[in-house]
Amino acid sequence: MNYAHLHLLLNHFPIVATIIGFGLLALSFGRASSDLRQTALIIFAASALLAIPAFLSGFGARIMLSQDPRVPNALVERHEGAAMLSLWFMETTGALAMVVLWRSHRTSRPARWHAPVVLLSALLTVGLMTRTGNTGGEIRHPEVRTSQGAMVMEGTLGSLVHAFEPTPEKFSQAVVGNLWVWGPLMFLHFVGLVLIVGTVGVLDLRIMGFLKQLPLLPLHRFIPWAMAGLGINIITGLLAFIGTPDRYVTSSAFWLKMLSLLLLGVNAVAFYLTGISERVRHLESGEDAPMPAKLIAGSALLLWLAVIVFGRYIAPLSDTLPPPAY
Amino acid sequence: MAVPEFFGTIERSGLSTWIRESPSLFAFYFILLLHTVGLALAVGANVVIDLRILGVASALPVKPLKQLFRIMWAGLGINGATGVLLLIAYPTKSLTNPVFYAKLFFIAFAVIVMQRIDARVFGDSSVSEASMIARGKAMAIWSLVLWTGAIAAGRLLAETFKYLTYADILKGKA
Repeated sequence: MNYAHLHLLLNHFPIVATIIGFGLLALSFGRASSDLRQTALIIFAASALLAIPAFLSGFGARIMLSQDPRVPNALVERHEGAAMLSLWFMETTGALAMVVLWRSHRTSRPARWHAPVVLLSALLTVGLMTRTGNTGGEIRHPEVRTSQGAMVMEGTLGSLVHAFEPTPEKFSQAVVGNLWVWGPLMFLHFVGLVLIVGTVGVLDLRIMGFLKQLPLLPLHRFIPWAMAGLGINIITGLLAFIGTPDRYVTSSAFWLKMLSLLLLGVNAVAFYLTGISERVRHLESGEDAPMPAKLIAGSALLLWLAVIVFGRYIAPLSDTLPPPAY
Repeated sequence: MAVPEFFGTIERSGLSTWIRESPSLFAFYFILLLHTVGLALAVGANVVIDLRILGVASALPVKPLKQLFRIMWAGLGINGATGVLLLIAYPTKSLTNPVFYAKLFFIAFAVIVMQRIDARVFGDSSVSEASMIARGKAMAIWSLVLWTGAIAAGRLLAETFKYLTYADILKGKA
């Protein structure tokens, strides 16, 4: 198993899922049932999270390919630019979906702007993700290459989009050794950490049976603050990674941190989709939560601790993994 | 400004040298990890109390939140102990950096504000929840501002220094 395997394993899910989500959301218009819409929104949120490890593994795969003479560098660079641009649109769509899910959870009649705005964002995301898939496919499948040799050939639309792609090299130069970029990034990352741990911590401790005098329903109002912290840390974390990818890719602690975050995603799915969240939702002051809920809350707290531990050890454990080589 | 010889004496001690130079993952980086966990406990607990006073989760009863002060003190205890160890490891680096004193200033005032919130908002059991909240608003805003300042100063402290060690000054590296 190497980074290329990991990248191939992960990279199809977000693209296919976004297309399916877009189809479901488009179908939901003009229908009374909100189930389709809910499903589409959950798919967008999940693919926004899955797109992150797919993107990260791509950096490892890129470093491997840079030593392979059979793959034209221009194709890899075009794919990298396409991936970076589509990632930000994917994350925006995921965040919008989370906001709409939250709002519809609280009020039975969602605002009118919700669905069309998500649909528009999803449409742009589908287009850009498809382009990422196409440019990536050309790297490994010479038979589908429209371009000859090392030349990159794209249609008019693709070339137009290309102008808006971020240039990671320039950004890396700005991040490395520049206190006024790195400092604020890490400051915000710590603010996000405090927001998440404080709010999620109180919620988890209550479900586990500490702070039992607190009724559970009003505690849910802290969830948007946890989500804001998570959003800040996804953005600042991705920027730190894009700025200095080599340091992260070769650190075992970084991948263990990503694994812990993935398990937290599984933990959240287990909590919300098994009906356990509904069973504890209306716990009154002094009431005890059922054991499955306590286990999920306890493991979430442990996983957040693991995220902090591995995050702290990224620096001393960098260079513990062999640099990706072909 | 002359750097006191005393800093060099601390740096040559066994404990200081071990924290600074040991390749073990349980030396410097473990202390730094505990310092981060302490930060999360202390400021995390504070933020929840402050947000509640400022009107977030307004259906949540305020009085049971008093238990969060114990988490805050636990976090502060961890950070006092680990902070002293980090200071023993790098006295010259910390004490010659003005940011270090700014960080201590922010923490000291944030703790004073939290003690006042504990005493004024949570201390009087005869007061109604509404008047508890009304008493705490300004202090809650100060608390958030001061903790943000403490984190900013802490991050800046990690990234900046004038002299790293006393030995460096002697070698003329400064």
